[in-house]
Amino acid sequence: MILLALILIPLLGGLLAWWAERFGTRATRWVALVATVLQLGVAAGIWAVHPGGGQTWWLDYARPWIPQFGIGLHLALDGFSLLLVLLTGVIGVLSVAASWEGITVKVGFFHFNLLWTLAGITGIFLSFDLFLFYVCWEVMLVPLYFLIDVWGHEERHFAAKKFFIFTQTAGLFLLLGMLGLVLTVAARFHVLTFDYFTLMQHPLGLYPLARWLMLGFFLAFAVKLPAVPLHTWLPDAHTQAPVAGSVDLAGLVLKVGAYGLMRLTLPLFPEISRAFAPIALTLAVLGILYGAVLAFAQTDLKRLVAYTSISHMGFVLLGIFSFNTMAWLGVTIILLAHGLSTGALFIFVGILNDRVKTRDITRMGGLWARAPILGGLTLFFALAALGLPGLGTFVGELLVLQGTFLVQPLFAVLASLGFILSSIYALWMLQRVFFGPPAPHVEARDVKPHETAMLAAAIALTLWLGLYPQPMLDTARAGVAQMLSTPEGGTP
Amino acid sequence: MTWADLPALYPMLIPAATAVLLLLTLTVRRDARLAAGVAMAGFIAGLLALAASAAELSHPVTMLLTVDRFAVVFWGILLFAGLLVSVFAVGYFRTLREPREEFYLLWLLAVVGAMVMAASAHFAAFFLGLELLSVSLYVLIAYPRMQSRAVEAGVKYLILAGASSAFVLFGMALTYAATGTLTFAELFTHLTLFPGDVLLLGGVVMILVGVGFKLALVPFHFWTPDVYEGAPLPVTAAVATVSKGAAFALLTRLLLGVIQAQPGHSTLAVIFTLLALASMIVGNLLALAQGNLKRLLAYSSIANMGYALTAFIAGGDAARVAIPYFFAGYIVAVLAAFGVMTQLSTPEHELQEVEDYRGLAWRYPWSAALLTVALLSLAGIPLTAGFLGKFFVLTAGMAAGRWTLVVTLVLTSGLGLYYYLRVITALYQAPLEGEQPTPPPLHLPHRLSVLTGLALAVLAALLLLLGVYPSPVLHLLAWP
Amino acid sequence: MTNQTISIAIFFVLGVGFWMIALAVSYLARPSKPTKFKETSYECGIEPSGSAWYQVHVRYYIYALLFVLFDVEVAFLYPWAVIFRRIDGGQMLLFSELAIFVLILVFGLVYAWRKGALEWE
Repeated sequence: MILLALILIPLLGGLLAWWAERFGTRATRWVALVATVLQLGVAAGIWAVHPGGGQTWWLDYARPWIPQFGIGLHLALDGFSLLLVLLTGVIGVLSVAASWEGITVKVGFFHFNLLWTLAGITGIFLSFDLFLFYVCWEVMLVPLYFLIDVWGHEERHFAAKKFFIFTQTAGLFLLLGMLGLVLTVAARFHVLTFDYFTLMQHPLGLYPLARWLMLGFFLAFAVKLPAVPLHTWLPDAHTQAPVAGSVDLAGLVLKVGAYGLMRLTLPLFPEISRAFAPIALTLAVLGILYGAVLAFAQTDLKRLVAYTSISHMGFVLLGIFSFNTMAWLGVTIILLAHGLSTGALFIFVGILNDRVKTRDITRMGGLWARAPILGGLTLFFALAALGLPGLGTFVGELLVLQGTFLVQPLFAVLASLGFILSSIYALWMLQRVFFGPPAPHVEARDVKPHETAMLAAAIALTLWLGLYPQPMLDTARAGVAQMLSTPEGGTP
Repeated sequence: MTWADLPALYPMLIPAATAVLLLLTLTVRRDARLAAGVAMAGFIAGLLALAASAAELSHPVTMLLTVDRFAVVFWGILLFAGLLVSVFAVGYFRTLREPREEFYLLWLLAVVGAMVMAASAHFAAFFLGLELLSVSLYVLIAYPRMQSRAVEAGVKYLILAGASSAFVLFGMALTYAATGTLTFAELFTHLTLFPGDVLLLGGVVMILVGVGFKLALVPFHFWTPDVYEGAPLPVTAAVATVSKGAAFALLTRLLLGVIQAQPGHSTLAVIFTLLALASMIVGNLLALAQGNLKRLLAYSSIANMGYALTAFIAGGDAARVAIPYFFAGYIVAVLAAFGVMTQLSTPEHELQEVEDYRGLAWRYPWSAALLTVALLSLAGIPLTAGFLGKFFVLTAGMAAGRWTLVVTLVLTSGLGLYYYLRVITALYQAPLEGEQPTPPPLHLPHRLSVLTGLALAVLAALLLLLGVYPSPVLHLLAWP
Repeated sequence: MTNQTISIAIFFVLGVGFWMIALAVSYLARPSKPTKFKETSYECGIEPSGSAWYQVHVRYYIYALLFVLFDVEVAFLYPWAVIFRRIDGGQMLLFSELAIFVLILVFGLVYAWRKGALEWE
């Protein structure tokens, strides 16, 4: 029941926030803030009540929905899901806070879309019925489309459509894959069900069709992640989205891709995924290097951050297809740390955009002298993103590289080149934006109190992840081990 | 036929009797509101009778008609569409100078024709229903007769539908020559026993030309955009819903069993596969370039018929669920889309261009929201009726191993998103500060009658309900 | 080839053969002395002038429609009358069926009358 509440809070909060617009935009903002804080609080409460331990499944909630097709309303929660739900809560609060002043048009509808996106994402992390998973997947997309399309920057219509068509078409292949899996299982084992755990008990092994089904499952998540040849929607969507949209995209939507691969693709098709690993690993290394090199070439600040995301997600893909617990724990930490640090970077870009009215790096410069606090904070998150020891991303990427090195040393060595490239682009960005001759027409105002507050929170969390990731690792371990193990892994 | 057969036919006889009653009413008093009221009462009474007759299922009434579960479901859909189109027509035709009363008379007859088609078990009933529907539609399409585009559309439809009726008739003659019977059951027996009978196949293909015309499947689709564009909006909605629903129900009755009984790559299956592929690809591709919302929806309906054919070709129990469900979702979505357009239009000034709807969301948020949900449903996004329809279609197609069709469906759906999104984007284009001039105001005062508002609310509720909670309908379709 | 098809084929050949032979014989047997007068469209009557594609007033169509309507009604009535006595027990149903049919047509006539379709002006 509490799991249902996690999804219902943002759903109802969204409706309420839209309705509250009639009492003024402040009411809407407060309703949205309360809803996101409430969701975060519930998730944190679950964490506090269940202190780690050996138990895999913490909570479970199942009701029939369309029994004729074996579809149920099946929600469940393990440590891995919980961490991602927590991240959703944090990013949710941050994105509401980040739009506090930036969004002035149609505030009600904006917060409705924002909260519904969050609800969809939470739903994905909690669904253990394939049909429900797909529904949540789409519930996330449509409001996000509106976020980009209505409140985005100058090229928003194009970017929104591109984003939607890429992910939706990929989503339809996911649907095909799901249907194929369900029908094949139904034909072989005479169980028509979309339930995750039941399907796990009926492995297809190397059944000829399974190869194609796995590809459907891979494609959808690879687009979302994004893995390299399928990434082109991301720079456009990131660049054109409003601040909160970019924060959600980078902080959460990309994580959904990784989550899908870890939760569905690999556990449901373990043998085929292993056979597929060389291709996935190649894509991962390509992504790491390609993203980093392209990030270096960008002059649009948002685009730059977008390409760094592609690079980091390469590490995620690398870790996932190394099939060992250490790498997967590393992936978990990257997901959390990247969500926080990139989310925060996008908030910075928003703040900068607010001050200098441009995202063009060549027209910035010399900000440090006028806004030292802003500069210092940006330096922190840029370092966090490039993987400075002591900050979250470093721990994650180190674990991934270690884990990968055990099984695929060549790919690990190639991937570590990404570290060098990432320090280059991060420092280069800082140098261009904050140092050098001051650009004209730059408003000198430094950060405002509410901005300081939300960034301080993000800093604290990033430091926690970097210095003492043990609680997160403990929480995630049982779930990760379960997903990596063979189908006998156990049900709630 | 005996007296005992009558109750099963009440849902159809009541609208038919209402048409006669309306005829008499018009001799006494000419009043558009009264006429509309009588027609709506007829449809509602038909729906009530339908609810009552649900107990009498699977009931052959003479050799001409079969009132089974399938017929009842389609009758429900058709009567519902009939009711809503009459509601929309009241508001839409309010400014028409010519007499408005006969519209409802003809519309009742058209729906009765469609119902006959949906329940027919014999070529005579089929042709009777087809002609009743077509002849009424000729007049309805050209109803605002002082407007050249409507008359043009009417004449176009008249000529092409007449030609297609001739094909159907010739096909029936050939079928009769080959089998010596006109019942669908006998046709099924003959087709399964002699799948290579050229005369019989020729006859069936001729009939397919006629049905394909009504459904606007691809080689027979050329009339669709022009007629959609020229016809007055409520009639466009009628052509898109009632006419297509009836034709597809008939197709299912006539040939679903045959497709199922024959091997996977029989001549008929190949023909249908080609029609479906062409409809999905061409419909979606041509819709991309449309700037006119009516034409866009015309091409989208072509594509949607291709999706429905996918389930039809797949056959099996899954198709018996998928086809009615898909149509219910499709018809509700189309009615909602045209409903919104209708209440913003009059016969003299229709809002047809996508550009006309720019920024609608900021002036009429409810209308825009409904139009958005309708378009999302047509695009097959979850939580809407269209998604579950497409989901069942995909399930049927995959269960039968029709991979070409299924993959084409998925790819073309992705393509289709583009044009639906174009419309939605226009709806929500906000006049952001200083970036764009505010869009031109809509020309009409926004007067939403209680009745229209209620109809649109029902459509919105159905769109979501059918998308979230399908179990009751699945029960009705005799799925366990 | 069944017996029936053979007989139809023979009938067809005879039918076609008959008019061909008749025309051929008359062509060979008749005298041919064309004059200018004989070549006109109508030997008795007025030479047509103007295009045949001109509009007929719509009221003719209305009359034609009404005529066809009642013509068809009669066509239905005959077979009904023929089988009326042959069906056992169902007479009441049979009678009411046709009564309804005729009644609907009467209503149609009333409607047309009220609408002014029977007025010539």
